[in-house]
Amino acid sequence: MQQIREPFKRTCKMTTHSLDAFQVIADQSRRQMLMMLSKDSMTINAIAENFDMSRPAVSKHVKILYNAGFISITDIGRERHCVLNQDGFDELQNFINYFDKFWANKLGKLQSLLNNKLKN
Amino acid sequence: MQKEIKHTFYFTQNPKEIWDYLTKPELMELWLMPSDFQPVPGHHFRFTNPNNSFVVCEVLEVKPFTDLSYVWKNDWAVTKTPYTSKVSWTLTPIEGGTELLLIHSGFEMFKDLTAHNNGWMFLCNKLGSLLKEPAK
Repeated sequence: MQQIREPFKRTCKMTTHSLDAFQVIADQSRRQMLMMLSKDSMTINAIAENFDMSRPAVSKHVKILYNAGFISITDIGRERHCVLNQDGFDELQNFINYFDKFWANKLGKLQSLLNNKLKN
Repeated sequence: MQKEIKHTFYFTQNPKEIWDYLTKPELMELWLMPSDFQPVPGHHFRFTNPNNSFVVCEVLEVKPFTDLSYVWKNDWAVTKTPYTSKVSWTLTPIEGGTELLLIHSGFEMFKDLTAHNNGWMFLCNKLGSLLKEPAK
């Protein structure tokens, strides 16, 4: 049987206060994990083989990625498969959208400032 | 995923006049934010947000009346969510005025991630087929 599970509720003791998208990707190892997962889904064991860190440390990073919506985790047989998830990336996109509006607003201000200057 | 912000604005003034509004703090403040900007490469300066937080900047390139760029990041000393990026201004004289191009780009921390946008459909399909496989 396969099921989508709530991962690591008991297996991971390290506390991972919910981090936002930027805190999540501020870590080099987690970025690398996402890069690897962008090519293919992977089991947690397969991810761990690529890193020089303890299995609990890898699990902690995976949990952080999961909590922030960057990956989803599916149990297939005995293995936990990680696959990229859109939500975390959407938050990054929102950030860019924020600045898009910010600049449109500021430049509009500059434009009306200079237009008014012409009239005077 | 969109990786950079681009805006093009047109002004009837000449590039020199627009340049002043991009480089003189007393004029920048009128439309952008207060700062201690100086048009000198390597100069560190800060914009002050209305909520008194800072945008921390460093001048990268200054080509008078043509090009200006600076690093744009939030205040890493206080933020829990550091990011860095680059703001570039390009002024081009055109008939009857100036074209001003803004590019806000290089959100370095996730530059490498944004290249893989197209992988998601594939991965979703892949997940779907994984789920259909009988458990071993």
